[in-house]
Amino acid sequence: MSILLRNIIRFVLLLLLQVFVLNKILVHQLISLELYMLFILLLPFNIPRPALMLLGLLLGLSLDMFMNTMGIHAFACVFMAYLRPFIINILSPQGGFETNMKTPSMISMGVSQFLIYVSILVFLHHLALFTLEVFGFGNLGYMLLKILFSTIASLVLIVLYELLFFSKK
Amino acid sequence: MRNLVIFLRRYFNFFLFLLLEVICIVMVFRNNNFQRTAYLNSANTVSGKLYDRYNNVQYYFHLKATNDSLVSENARLHNMLRTSFDSMLTGNIVKTDTIRQLSGDTMHQVTGMELRRYLYREGKVINNSVNRAVNYITIRRGRLQGIRPNMGVIGPSGVVGTVRSVSDNYAVILSLLAKSSGTGPNAFGVNSRLLRGREIGTTYWDGADPGYAILRDIPRSVRLQKGDTVVTSGFSAFFPENIPVGYVDTFALADKSSTAYTIRVKLATNFYNLQYVYVIDNLLKDEQQRLEDSTYSLTK
Repeated sequence: MSILLRNIIRFVLLLLLQVFVLNKILVHQLISLELYMLFILLLPFNIPRPALMLLGLLLGLSLDMFMNTMGIHAFACVFMAYLRPFIINILSPQGGFETNMKTPSMISMGVSQFLIYVSILVFLHHLALFTLEVFGFGNLGYMLLKILFSTIASLVLIVLYELLFFSKK
Repeated sequence: MRNLVIFLRRYFNFFLFLLLEVICIVMVFRNNNFQRTAYLNSANTVSGKLYDRYNNVQYYFHLKATNDSLVSENARLHNMLRTSFDSMLTGNIVKTDTIRQLSGDTMHQVTGMELRRYLYREGKVINNSVNRAVNYITIRRGRLQGIRPNMGVIGPSGVVGTVRSVSDNYAVILSLLAKSSGTGPNAFGVNSRLLRGREIGTTYWDGADPGYAILRDIPRSVRLQKGDTVVTSGFSAFFPENIPVGYVDTFALADKSSTAYTIRVKLATNFYNLQYVYVIDNLLKDEQQRLEDSTYSLTK
């Protein structure tokens, strides 16, 4: 399967999963389950940065359309997409990751590297998302707790997703 | 000039990033304004249809709860019917109440004694959320079926929200579960009053628990009891009088010197399993609005 087709399928799949499964699950007021941004995280290493940001905008706006939160998810996604290359640069070993591995995964980056990469970006995404969502209500403690717990929940979901679609290619 | 081009090319990514973020921020703040209608939302054809399909399946799992709430609502309405009451006067005086006789039919409307003020239209909930800071409900009924923005929406047991935006066949409702501070230009709340004492206040959601809201502006002179009913005041053009909002749960004074209670209200509507709502069309709203607007403009 080509990388393009794989990513298109992943885009649709993650969006539907987010809208019709995860958004319907109510765990706690402080935990909101978010997995859709995994699409941005799993795009190939060599994708041009403008394309990365535009895809982030597209993904965010698609979700915003379903959730009536015009612009909030788009903002968080673009923010995350912009910072992604920096994080990858910091984490990559001398001379970059192995060239035959095109996309970030537990195999190509190593489990610990991948987890650090994912947790930093997911945290930044949630920071932008919930700052904007709860903006102006002055409840800092509530916001920080929500960011923290939702990040942990997202990490669990991402690890589950990775284990589920585990492939040794 | 050449330097400028080089500068722009070097920082192209950063400028693109700034541009996209500014676009997003503008959209967020345009959307945050409760008075304005949104452009892209779940009322559009794609997401509306998808939510509709999804609801067709999950609807079956809630049939029992839906039935129960509709039956209890029917019972409540039957108890309000005129035929459920009888005159206290059972003596030998016979009074023929001609108004009572006429009131069942259209005679009142024909003779101009009564005119319809509120028209209720039912709508099926196809999407709903409770765990966001601002929650929205999508229903399967839109512009072609008579729904307009800024109509009040109630459920089988109480207030639900107001219509935010509509498309041809779908409408998006701003749920009462929209986090608000209770004051300020963007505040979203329901004009309410205590059923017993008739004191007026505002009910708004503080974002904490989808089952509870806050009622403010009730003076401390009022004697409150747990379980007191809070209903709509009928002052706003959205809701008729006496629609249940909730029931007093706990109440406290913010500090010793404050003049008003902060009351925690258990919401009458269970937002977790909302399946049907009624959209209220206030047929006299335009007239009331015009009169109020012209009065406000006089005082400015």
